[in-house]
Amino acid sequence: MTTNKNKIQFLLGDKLTEIEFNSEISPTTTVLNYLRSLPNHKGVKEGCAEGDCGACTVVIAEESNNKLTYKSFDSCLIFLPSLHGKQLITVENVGTSEKLHPVQEALVETHASQCGFCTPGFTMSLFSLYKQDFIPSKEFIIDALTGNLCRCTGYKPIIEAAHKCCGEHNHDYFSENENETILKLKGIKNSTNNIVIDNGIQKYFLPSNLAEALQLRTDLPNATIINGGTDIALRVTKKHEIITTIIDLSQTIGLKKITKTDKEWIIGTGVSIEDVRIEVKDIFPALYEMLSVFGSKQIRNKATFGGNIGSASPIGDSTPVLMAYNSTLVLKNTKAEREIKLREFITGYRKTQMSSDELIIAVKIPIPNTNEIIKSYKVSKRKDLDISTVSACFNLLKDEKGKIKEIFMFYGGMAATTSRASKTEDFLNGKEWNRENIEKAMKLIDEDYTPISDARAGAEARKIMARNLLMKFYNDTINL
Amino acid sequence: MKKIYHESAKYHVSGEAIYIDDIEVNNQLLHGYVYTSPVAHAKIKSYNYSEAQKLAGVHAILNYKDIPGHNQMVPVFQDEVILAIDEVTFIGQAIFLIAAETEEIARQASKLIEIEYEELPAILTIEDAIQNGVTVQPSRKIETGDINEAFKNAKNIIEGELKIGGQEHWYLETQICLCIPQEGRDMKVFSSTQNPSETQLLVAEALGLHKMNVEVEMKRMGGGFGGKETQGNHVAVWSAILANYTKKPVKIRLFRDEDQKMTGKRHRFLIKYKAAFDENGLISAVDFEQNADAGATSDLSMSILERAMLHAENSYYVPNMRIIGHAWKTNLPSNTAFRGFGGPQGIAAMETIIDRIARTLKKDSAEIRNINFYALFERNVTPYGQKIENNRLPKIWEQIIETSEYFARRKQVNEFNQKNEFYKKGLALTPIKFGISFTTAFLNQAGALVHIYNDGSVLVNHGGTEMGQGLHTKMRQIAAKELGIDYENVKVNATNTTKVPNTSPTAASSGADMNGMAVKDAIDKIKKRLSTFIACKFGATYRDNTSDAENLVYDRNIIYDWKQPERKISFNDAIKAAYLGRINLSSNGFYATPGVNFNRDRGFGKPFFYFSYGMAVSEVLLDILTGYTKILRTDILHDVGESLNVDLDKGQVEGAFIQGVGWCTTEELKYDSKGNLLNHSPDTYKIPGVNDIPEIFNVNLLKGYPQPGTIHRSKAVGEPPFMLSFSVWLAIKDAISSIKNHEIEPNFQIPATNENILLSIENLKK
Ligand SMILES: Cc1cc2nc3c(=O)[nH]c(=O)nc-3n(C[C@H](O)[C@H](O)[C@H](O)COP(=O)(O)OP(=O)(O)OC[C@H]3O[C@@H](n4cnc5c(N)ncnc54)[C@H](O)[C@@H]3O)c2cc1C
Ligand code: FES
Ligand code: FES
Repeated sequence: MTTNKNKIQFLLGDKLTEIEFNSEISPTTTVLNYLRSLPNHKGVKEGCAEGDCGACTVVIAEESNNKLTYKSFDSCLIFLPSLHGKQLITVENVGTSEKLHPVQEALVETHASQCGFCTPGFTMSLFSLYKQDFIPSKEFIIDALTGNLCRCTGYKPIIEAAHKCCGEHNHDYFSENENETILKLKGIKNSTNNIVIDNGIQKYFLPSNLAEALQLRTDLPNATIINGGTDIALRVTKKHEIITTIIDLSQTIGLKKITKTDKEWIIGTGVSIEDVRIEVKDIFPALYEMLSVFGSKQIRNKATFGGNIGSASPIGDSTPVLMAYNSTLVLKNTKAEREIKLREFITGYRKTQMSSDELIIAVKIPIPNTNEIIKSYKVSKRKDLDISTVSACFNLLKDEKGKIKEIFMFYGGMAATTSRASKTEDFLNGKEWNRENIEKAMKLIDEDYTPISDARAGAEARKIMARNLLMKFYNDTINL
Repeated sequence: MKKIYHESAKYHVSGEAIYIDDIEVNNQLLHGYVYTSPVAHAKIKSYNYSEAQKLAGVHAILNYKDIPGHNQMVPVFQDEVILAIDEVTFIGQAIFLIAAETEEIARQASKLIEIEYEELPAILTIEDAIQNGVTVQPSRKIETGDINEAFKNAKNIIEGELKIGGQEHWYLETQICLCIPQEGRDMKVFSSTQNPSETQLLVAEALGLHKMNVEVEMKRMGGGFGGKETQGNHVAVWSAILANYTKKPVKIRLFRDEDQKMTGKRHRFLIKYKAAFDENGLISAVDFEQNADAGATSDLSMSILERAMLHAENSYYVPNMRIIGHAWKTNLPSNTAFRGFGGPQGIAAMETIIDRIARTLKKDSAEIRNINFYALFERNVTPYGQKIENNRLPKIWEQIIETSEYFARRKQVNEFNQKNEFYKKGLALTPIKFGISFTTAFLNQAGALVHIYNDGSVLVNHGGTEMGQGLHTKMRQIAAKELGIDYENVKVNATNTTKVPNTSPTAASSGADMNGMAVKDAIDKIKKRLSTFIACKFGATYRDNTSDAENLVYDRNIIYDWKQPERKISFNDAIKAAYLGRINLSSNGFYATPGVNFNRDRGFGKPFFYFSYGMAVSEVLLDILTGYTKILRTDILHDVGESLNVDLDKGQVEGAFIQGVGWCTTEELKYDSKGNLLNHSPDTYKIPGVNDIPEIFNVNLLKGYPQPGTIHRSKAVGEPPFMLSFSVWLAIKDAISSIKNHEIEPNFQIPATNENILLSIENLKK
């Protein structure tokens, strides 16, 4: 095993491809821009360069345990180095007009393209669904497509195409060549581990293990950390910034583990939002609900749990929920590890207690007691693939008589940080869980927050939403 | 019948379809960038771009003085400059053009430009514009009957105001143009435009050339929706100026945020209304004042306002009516064409009146609609004097009331609302009558050029552009049917101004109607020559009297004499023979829509060749705590005459409907106090996604009602179904209104975002 200097290797379709970074090729080149610079991969389209339209969707296959998993991603948000050791599949690889893949055939036959500009992206999202090899329900299909916008069709035929082509025992070119692909990918991974890129303008590190990552963090305290990169990539694609030093944790093993005990779950910060979502469904339903309206499939496949916390955004969706579950973060530097309650971790607008040599390595979520009622809510203009206008998560503990023993109310979108409605909580604690008290409490929320007006909604509407979410929680828990 | 798929479908799904940004250009290609105004209204005091010019990789920075021709890019009213001179009138207005080796360098260069402004007061809302009193062009009026008398005698009168928001087109492919200089100063222009002939004209004028020097080609757009009817021209003119100056290919592709900030939108409107009606809800008079936000220049605002006025009564007979229309000047990018072209705004106000009448009289709104519909033999003249012929409203009403089970569901909805406090359902049926033709009469013309090659394959050129609507597919079908050959033997070429000149924009839903007729005309001409030749040949073969050319039938790849069916020849053999016989196998074709006219000064005439009709019934579920709405079911019955392609037409209906739903619900444009658009990316501008379509979505085309006098008895389809989305909009209002048992008129506007819904509910509770 060696360190790869200035070079990455991956499969483009089945072609072993090597990219050498130099002053002409920046390591923060997006996969979208790279593909579009090639003569034969112009099928991938740019509709927004910010992960909101899916026109740039590609599928990336990864090998683990001698199996390939096929996931959809927005290529506009991926920097080239993170492709290392993976198979990148574009619409051209899936099939040609002379030899269509079953997914493409179905799209043609259901009249699912009009202007066609969104179509390559839909093709790829459907292709990844097809590769899951099961008969998807309508919900599953919709979930696979929330990251793709179409302005022409009204989506109906696209859903129909999905029903038509996805099923069990799918067989295609990719399954035929699976073994060969696995061998090729293993070959790349066996020959390298760490990637170090320095093109004279930018430095980009892709450490393969945690120790390496922490060392880099100590050595380069001003480097930008990326994990999924869905936040940071926008600085490049939208603000056209040149980020000079990047430590990319996306290939760092050791951050991708979920440990489950009877008391708590310890979720590595490198686990994707989608993987967390699928895992937590039964044990942490409020987290599951929230993550189910988080971004889109493509975003959730890329975005990480750690990145969501690390960004410390007041409209980050996992924070109010993790706070309501009273989660703890595990921070680590080269010397030590420490734990800190998430409720205390965030200190201001995008400010945290993390020091410049630390990384957040895991989140510990205690399994709630059976008498804790926890529910999460998100209000956004559009239900899917939209950032919260207001989000909330409540944790209610009733005593034997049914009175409120303790209630925790966390709101996102109401202040510069995710924050507690302390006055309202104080009022409710010790009172009956009844409509009258809820209505009184709703008035107090106005005292807890002075929200802002922005592109998403005005302050007045935010206040109404915050009040109403408490009523909604009450109504949802009335019989519990 | 064999299914005909979109002619480009297999290229779309495989990524092989070529859009302008996919065209391979040599390594000389430069990237154009537009330096725009960051202020809404200002004098330009001074500027300096010498530092920017020095940046390596920058090939040109140009200002208005560098334009070789005419500094204008609005054809009729001539009030929009290509590059600002000494004043800017909206944020996003072009001031300088930059050409550089990469987009990155161009962007860096733009940051080095220094410019000093003296800010002037800006008009940023319709209300302020009305106060300010400046319109882009003189206001218009349509009037019929005597409204004063009618209001005097009225039993009931309602009055109010409706606020209607704008809409961003959000075509997936942003504005783009590639210009490649040719010999001399000739220019080849690959433009994402709905209007190649106008792009050609404006590029020629900007460069000081003739139209013959400029070739515009348009293969396919990644969506247009009206946004590329005039505003595709801007990017084309800018890139042409740069290409002409640098003598290198130049491409300008607007970045999504730039596109959203710089280009015009669907017009915002503020409509003031007053209506009189009797105890049954029969309307006797309506008075409208339509106030449109034109933006900084005229663009198409007057035609759009005109269509809003011509649709102000929607499907209802109003004996006494006055419609006054103003297009106010504001300091925002000039608003422009968008599917429906003013029709939606006009209709929204009329539907609001109907809805309010129902609430006032405590009746069901569908019944109010029914008694006010245009009738078949009386009550059938529009406020502008056009008689309604082939009225399909009664038939559609009859069918959709039944298939949607409207009245039974009305009961269920009411019952649900009685039982639930935090969830409310709403139901609404809305109709649409939409006039087909350009209201500017001379635009109602189209051309085509058809070649039959001597191997029997056919190449069709026509003036229409393909933006996804399936126009080329329909043209292929028409050509194949007229020639009696297989669809596969026909191809439609990229639209090109050197093939068909002086074309009208592909707009007003008229693309298939007019170009289809032009294609048919071209084929008729060839067939006439071919039939004469083949008839003669039949005579020679059978050593008999010749066949009568009129009796030849073209069907299933064979040409035969229907009176003597044994006389036949395969199409390909016929073509080969005709070629050897030196017969001209190519022809142009032309069509002018007959009988349309409209006198703007009098507000009177027959502006439309015919009307399209449709109705929709939608049911929504409203969560009154979050303002979130879900469309539970939509039933649509829409009239397209005899469909040219049922699948494509349904696709248009569904797509237009959902686009309308977006406008009515989640698509919102907010501006700050300086005139900056806040929702300038899909992050905050939310078009419908896959989960926003109705859970049950039944879309049907009216069967058995061919349209006389149109191509293959079909009807236009592109725009009308957009307005069927009012069924969703008013169903939401119905749900809100049920909170107070329909006793109070809720505040309501377009869009009904969850924010606006929550504010309306709060207000009801007060
Ligand atoms: C289209 C789109 C939709 C989105 N929708 C949502 C949504 O619905 N809800 C929502 O909450 N967010 C949303 N986001 C925001 C973003 O995707 C999430 O915040 C995501 O979880 C970030 O994770 P990441 O791994 O991609 O972050 P990155 O961009 O990699 O990092 C984000 C921040 O966290 C820091 N960081 C990352 N990992 C660590 C670590 N291990 N230790 C310390 N610091 C770390 C980084 O330095 C950076 O500052 C959306 C973004 C896009 C582009
Ligand atoms: S370009 Fe829109 S998601 Fe990537
Ligand atoms: S087909 Fe045009 S955007 Fe989907």
